[in-house]
Amino acid sequence: MPRIIVCLKYAIDVSQIKVDSATRKLLTADAPRKISDFDKNALEEAIRIKEKHGGEVIALTVSSESASSALREALAMGADKAFLVQDSAVQNSDTLVVSQILAEAVKKVGSFDIIICGEASIDSYSGQVGPRLAEILGIPAVTYAHRVGLEGNAIIAERILEDCSEVVKVKMPALLTVTKEINEPRVPTLMDVLKASRKELVTWTLSDLGVSKEKVEAIAIQVLEVSAPKVERKRIKIEGENPKEIAEKLVKALIQDGVLGG
Amino acid sequence: MHFQVNGEKNMVFDFTETEEQKLIVKAVKEWCERNLTALRVRQMDDKGHPYPKDIVEGLAKLGVIMGTVPQEHGGLGLDWKTQALIAETIGYYDPTIATAAGFMAVETGWGYTIDRHCSETVREKYVKPAIRGEKFIGIGATEPVGGSDVAGHKTTAKMEGNEWVLNGEKTFISGTEECKMWGGGYWVNARTGPLVPEAPHRNITAFFVPIDADGVEVIEPYKDSGRMAISTGGFVLKNVRLSDEYRLGEVGKGFYHTMEGFDNARLMIGASCAGVIRRILDDAIPYIKERKVFGMPLAKYEAIQFELAEIYMEMEALKLMTMKTAWMQDIRYAEEGLPVKVSEAKTFKPTEVAKWISMIKWKGPFLALKAAEKAMIWLGAAGYTKEYLFEAAWRGVMSYVVGAEGGQNIQKIVIGRELLGKEYVPYK
Repeated sequence: MPRIIVCLKYAIDVSQIKVDSATRKLLTADAPRKISDFDKNALEEAIRIKEKHGGEVIALTVSSESASSALREALAMGADKAFLVQDSAVQNSDTLVVSQILAEAVKKVGSFDIIICGEASIDSYSGQVGPRLAEILGIPAVTYAHRVGLEGNAIIAERILEDCSEVVKVKMPALLTVTKEINEPRVPTLMDVLKASRKELVTWTLSDLGVSKEKVEAIAIQVLEVSAPKVERKRIKIEGENPKEIAEKLVKALIQDGVLGG
Repeated sequence: MHFQVNGEKNMVFDFTETEEQKLIVKAVKEWCERNLTALRVRQMDDKGHPYPKDIVEGLAKLGVIMGTVPQEHGGLGLDWKTQALIAETIGYYDPTIATAAGFMAVETGWGYTIDRHCSETVREKYVKPAIRGEKFIGIGATEPVGGSDVAGHKTTAKMEGNEWVLNGEKTFISGTEECKMWGGGYWVNARTGPLVPEAPHRNITAFFVPIDADGVEVIEPYKDSGRMAISTGGFVLKNVRLSDEYRLGEVGKGFYHTMEGFDNARLMIGASCAGVIRRILDDAIPYIKERKVFGMPLAKYEAIQFELAEIYMEMEALKLMTMKTAWMQDIRYAEEGLPVKVSEAKTFKPTEVAKWISMIKWKGPFLALKAAEKAMIWLGAAGYTKEYLFEAAWRGVMSYVVGAEGGQNIQKIVIGRELLGKEYVPYK
């Protein structure tokens, strides 16, 4: 029965970010946070594996602020236990540092068979944490999985690539990153929500993991600026005698603009 | 905030949502976003009853129907504050009010009250299946002689041998078609003793009448103007024989038990109307910000902006009143405890809670009606079309203005009674 760790990012809810119209800067300070969408798919897949094969699902989050509500939601969805590494030092951490912290947390959680992450996070969308974590732990990584099954002590995963899909078989322990298409995350029932409050949610700091703050603060990549793209309507009005002529003109304009291939 | 209670002690009420309540509301929202979309609600309203079974089963699986029923009776044991937040969310996603009317006010408000007063037989055969979304249970109060004058109703029940025999007629009853199709039954009051002219509310007893009991004849549903997704009909009782297991509460105390049911249902109405209003504003605001007239967005015109501000203020007042009422109801029930010990609450007596409940039952539907009407006017022709749900909300909440779960003027009589004293009640 597999022991599955799911890494959940307490990400900024990008659908609710406001943009300063003068500077184009993103006003992220007041934006609400939530479990990153793809990570919710990862959690759902872990729960489905558990429902089919038994085992245990453990939710794991690294955050600079309290992500307990997100982890309670994960517990309501079906995780058995949750671990939160909370430390203000990780506020500006890049993917390398987060992967290192996650690796330490995974070691502290104990043995595992599968780690599942989302293909990327909804806010920074680098897609690096999963593969980096696998590399640090020395286990295989199967990225962009949109179908997953277990066979003995191996995972069969179908990876969705740009113009084809690929089926791979990998021995456990292994790490998967999953796409949004893999499933539709469940809505927990209210009884599940009530039960979640009685499940174990453990909070650690960096020192609990034996990770030094200095190491965490020595980030390799610093994000200097994030701004929203300027979107301007072209205000082109296409006119013609009949729909066919209008459609032809529209297609021509789209080809000229590079939207459609010529 | 400190609040003086009975002049004896200070209590603190804090309506900040707990982490659990936030997660509950989030789950209900997510479920509604998938299942009670604007398109689905529009289709439900256009098609009319019966209410879609898949939605009921989904709501039941989610756990929102009769959430306040104790866990050992098949519910979740939620408090009324949490259930009010759920009702508000349901009202938001189905502003036609059909879902809130059928499954918050009727099934949750009355279902909880039935559960408090019913036998184990009724609980197992009807309450628990209704919580699971399999059957429908509701209230059959109104009679051809009227609705609000509960004490003046004509239905009778006489003990013959070891059975009660009921005769009478109930009209304008929510969910009769659904109840007929899915199975279930209704809370029905009947006179079980002589009419006491100076106290006509005495000698009334409540029963649970299964819809398929011999002698129950369901009449054709009415052609309503609103909340089309759930039926409104009636039934005739002709020598309906029920064992004593189908009695709800004490013999002769039916009027008081009924008032308790109305309290719970009306609380759900106040909460769901707050959700309807919020939805109307959320749908209207983007339009009035975008739409320009004479070179200026509609939202910049004070004629519209000020009305929006007023409705928003009133809505927030309604929400606060609703949460305070739910909080009072929680304290009252906690003090009464289970099993039933009606009227033993010390901090908030049922009549005090009833006053607050009447205030939100009055305020909620009128305000929702006003919000829907204003939104239609702000948006002009667009607001009058079925592209928006304003007209469906307007038609739906009107059902509560015309009298569902108690006429609006009755609410003022309840409020007046508490302010002035029983001797100033104009009608008995």
